[in-house]
Amino acid sequence: MRYCLRIFCTLSLFFTGGFILIFSQVLHAEDANDIIEKVVNNLNGKTAVMEISMVVKTSRAERTMKMKSYSIGQKKSFIKILYPKKDEGITFLKLDNSMWQYVPRIEKTIKIPASMMLQSWMGSDFSNDDLVKESSLSEDYDHALISETDNEYNLELHPKADAAVVWGKILMSVSKQYYLPVRVSYFDEDGVLIRELLYTDVKAYGKRFYPSCWVMTPKTADKKGHETRITVSSAIFDTVVDDGYFTKRALKRFSR
Amino acid sequence: MFIQLAIRNVLAYRKRSVITLLLGTVSTALLVFSSAWMDGSHQQMIKNAVEIYSGYIQITGEKFRKSPSFEHLLFDVEKLQKDVEAVAGVEIFSPRFEAFVLYSVGEKAVGGMLTGIDPEKERRISRLYSSLKEGSYLSNTDTNQLYIGNELARRLKLQVGDELAFVGSGADYSFAADKLIVKGIFQTGLFEFDATGAFLAKPYFDMIMAAGNLATHGIVLPHDTQQVDILAKKIGRKIGEEFQAASWMETMAALVKSMKLDSVFGYITLGIIFTVIFFVVMIYTLLAVFARIREIGIMRAVGTTPRQIFGILLLESSILGFISVVAGGLIGAVFAYYFNVHPMVFSGMEEQFKQYGLAVSAMPTAFEPVTILRDMLVMFVLLLLSTLYPIIKANRYQPIEAMHHV
Amino acid sequence: MYSLALRMAWASLVRRRARSFLVVLMICVSLWGLLVMQGIYDGMTEQMIANAIRSDSGQLSLFGRGYRLDPSLDTLVGGKQTDNAGERLRNLLDNDPGVRSWVKRLRQNGLVATAHYSRNTEIYGVDLDREDKNGQLQRYLLQGEYDFGDQSKGAIIGFKLAEKLQVKIGKKIILSAQDLNSEVTAIALRITGVLKTNNLGIDENAVFIDLERARTFLGVEQGVSQISIMMHDDQQLTSLQQELQYALPHLDVLRWDELYPALMQSRVMMKGFSLVISIMIFGVAGLGIFGVMLVSVLERMREFGIMLAIGTSFRQVRIIILAEALFMGLTGLLAGAVCGGLSLVYFKIYGLDLTMFSEAFEEFGMDAITYAIIRPDYFVTAFAAVVLATFVSVYFPLRLLRRANPIEVINAV
Repeated sequence: MRYCLRIFCTLSLFFTGGFILIFSQVLHAEDANDIIEKVVNNLNGKTAVMEISMVVKTSRAERTMKMKSYSIGQKKSFIKILYPKKDEGITFLKLDNSMWQYVPRIEKTIKIPASMMLQSWMGSDFSNDDLVKESSLSEDYDHALISETDNEYNLELHPKADAAVVWGKILMSVSKQYYLPVRVSYFDEDGVLIRELLYTDVKAYGKRFYPSCWVMTPKTADKKGHETRITVSSAIFDTVVDDGYFTKRALKRFSR
Repeated sequence: MFIQLAIRNVLAYRKRSVITLLLGTVSTALLVFSSAWMDGSHQQMIKNAVEIYSGYIQITGEKFRKSPSFEHLLFDVEKLQKDVEAVAGVEIFSPRFEAFVLYSVGEKAVGGMLTGIDPEKERRISRLYSSLKEGSYLSNTDTNQLYIGNELARRLKLQVGDELAFVGSGADYSFAADKLIVKGIFQTGLFEFDATGAFLAKPYFDMIMAAGNLATHGIVLPHDTQQVDILAKKIGRKIGEEFQAASWMETMAALVKSMKLDSVFGYITLGIIFTVIFFVVMIYTLLAVFARIREIGIMRAVGTTPRQIFGILLLESSILGFISVVAGGLIGAVFAYYFNVHPMVFSGMEEQFKQYGLAVSAMPTAFEPVTILRDMLVMFVLLLLSTLYPIIKANRYQPIEAMHHV
Repeated sequence: MYSLALRMAWASLVRRRARSFLVVLMICVSLWGLLVMQGIYDGMTEQMIANAIRSDSGQLSLFGRGYRLDPSLDTLVGGKQTDNAGERLRNLLDNDPGVRSWVKRLRQNGLVATAHYSRNTEIYGVDLDREDKNGQLQRYLLQGEYDFGDQSKGAIIGFKLAEKLQVKIGKKIILSAQDLNSEVTAIALRITGVLKTNNLGIDENAVFIDLERARTFLGVEQGVSQISIMMHDDQQLTSLQQELQYALPHLDVLRWDELYPALMQSRVMMKGFSLVISIMIFGVAGLGIFGVMLVSVLERMREFGIMLAIGTSFRQVRIIILAEALFMGLTGLLAGAVCGGLSLVYFKIYGLDLTMFSEAFEEFGMDAITYAIIRPDYFVTAFAAVVLATFVSVYFPLRLLRRANPIEVINAV
């Protein structure tokens, strides 16, 4: 009899414990989703027009590029290279999952083929795919809040079963103050850190706060010494952006 | 005295001698020629694979062969060139810069390699120049003139004089794109290579790809193509740890191994033929020795020792063996030499060679005196061995038995 | 009468035991070697061909017109030409008496990626059950399972590709490719199996996925890139090709040897090679028999002279001599055929293991273990060759005997 009682106690403990565990997961998951949602909205805005400069550092050299970008939400964006002189006028158009590029030197619009999607974008540590898929953080991942400090939420993102993303896991720290990412770490399936993206120097642009400096650092041995630093020099959010930017014709037209 | 006796016997039993000689000669010639043919065709296949493009010695950044990225380039090619050229035995050093780019014509875009080469040196280190199919080859002063593989040109529907564009990354990872004009179309016969490769003169390439004083590969042409391994090591020591100098035996290890395998099968086949020849020679010796069994019996009866008889008979075989091996060796060598100078042409076989990544149809035989001597020695031993059994057997008879043997 | 001749032949053979034995041994060993060599070499060639046929081309392949030159999703078999083209094709192939089985494959080139690496690839949308029935694809499985797993989210990839991507069973890969509308699409799959077909093109590039998944992935509702056909009887190859080409004028109907011309050349070359070697071996062996028979006749010139003198017909003498030669030849043939046959059976069952050269075999697109082939015609040819060699080898001694004058022969010492 006493024996049975003990089993019963153990079982109930087990169940309640489990229930609490499940409950807390659900609670966190909802929280985490909200956080990610906010983060993604904060990063993109309804529309955005930005001027940025990108410094690509390798173990040998350092290059600086300047460009202007126009975007509506997460799905449409248009980028024009302003500097260096030899690349001036190169334009990019992203619509949903496709990307086109116009190169004035060869007077040609090229659709980036699937086989080039994972190649580096303009020699940076971002891939073409990163540009196309930046929206996928909210859609392609299950999110869980794993811990929080006074200033930051620490989220763990696991790709959904069907999501076509190469990462095994993403860890993201989000600032509680701005609901903006602070650090995003990308891991492979075995938990090996592949690269890290830092967002710093949050500034106010109009009503909106935005990280004015992004630093991507690959962590794999073959990219040692590489770093890509994007600095936002000006940004206007939520104004009306001409829809004409987001057509293939615009690539050539706005190249000049 | 023995020798005279043996020679006399050889001359006396002409039929046996002629047949043994004939067999020995033919099989020696066959062995010599087969080895020459096998070695020759293997050498030719490797030589082709090496000489068409990849080169006898490749110098790369230390980690480039494992992970071919712009991180592991040859930096400061000019200094490297001086260092390599200072090594005795180096004929030419020529840098190449290979980059993966996207070629585009109209709506069509195809990935491929764009390589900057030194057209003048390249003429001597690879067969790019001699593989010219249409148009003309590059020169050092060419600008956006492209020398493109035949299959790649076909995929992009390009003719000589047509324009195409490429986009890719320069050596500093910067964006690179340009309009190019097809100056020449080449066809090496290596399908993969012809379907992906295209070349620019390096001065212009360096300008648009930011590749000045940089290269992915340095190709070395040695004075003596036989001593490549040693030379590669010498170069390796000279240029230091940050570089890797690999001979074709390393860069084409799988091909080398498959040629070895082919030789193994070849020798097995020859082995079967020689087993039969071995038996036939044995049979003829047996016949010859037993035809003389009475004579042997008489010799024994008058006091010749079995050892002496054994000696005489063996000497006879040696004389026959020696003559046939020399004759066969000479015949084989003549054929080997002739087909070395005038290679056999197999015009129907290109497809098969191409499958192994080899673009050849002419196969010269190898003419190597050392190998020929080796084969002659092998045959001589084989011929002697095949006569041992009959000689021993005949010697076992008692003198009386032998004399009365019918 | 014949029995006397046979007895005499036998007696003569026994009297010269050593050399008779040597001749028999010679024929036996040469035949043995020749049989094993032929069986193994043919085994190798046929294995290479079978690998290509089973893993890719079938005996016949159907492609959309021009697909081979410019592979794209616009050139499909049973695509959009008519509404029920697929249906008609299915009926045609299912009801054709020459067709044993057939499979559909949807192919597209694309990119396969992990967090570390990415490589160009050929994506094959296939039906695993049918592939196994058609070409026993399952036998090529190196690791994992022959299954696309739950909800067909699995992928089976070539072992060289797996090596290059450094992936194992259970790992995730991302496939991206252009779909029918030229949009870039991507899909996440887990590796369920690794294949080693020894067809280099497949081992280095292929990712096999479920056909239906490939359809949704590439946006192809109907039609496939390739139909690979296995036949009941490959003797009917060209006639079936013509028949299908007639029935399907808008498609390319290609034989395996049109898709892999190098393999056909290998086969032809191997045949020629075997023939040359056989001729050499039997030629030399014939020379051996010839020597023995010549001596045997010369030794007994007197004997035969007396026989002819006392009224034995030349025919009978000829029978004696022929019987003697045939006896040796056939005994050798029998011994050689038994030894060679048994060795071949062994190599057919257990194979010849040449794993130490496996790297080289991969270069050739061959298996490291070769299973011998046994063809009846090896033995038939050997029989014919031995008999021929025997007859030829007694021809000259007989002529010698016929020309000889019995009286002279008898009086000669």
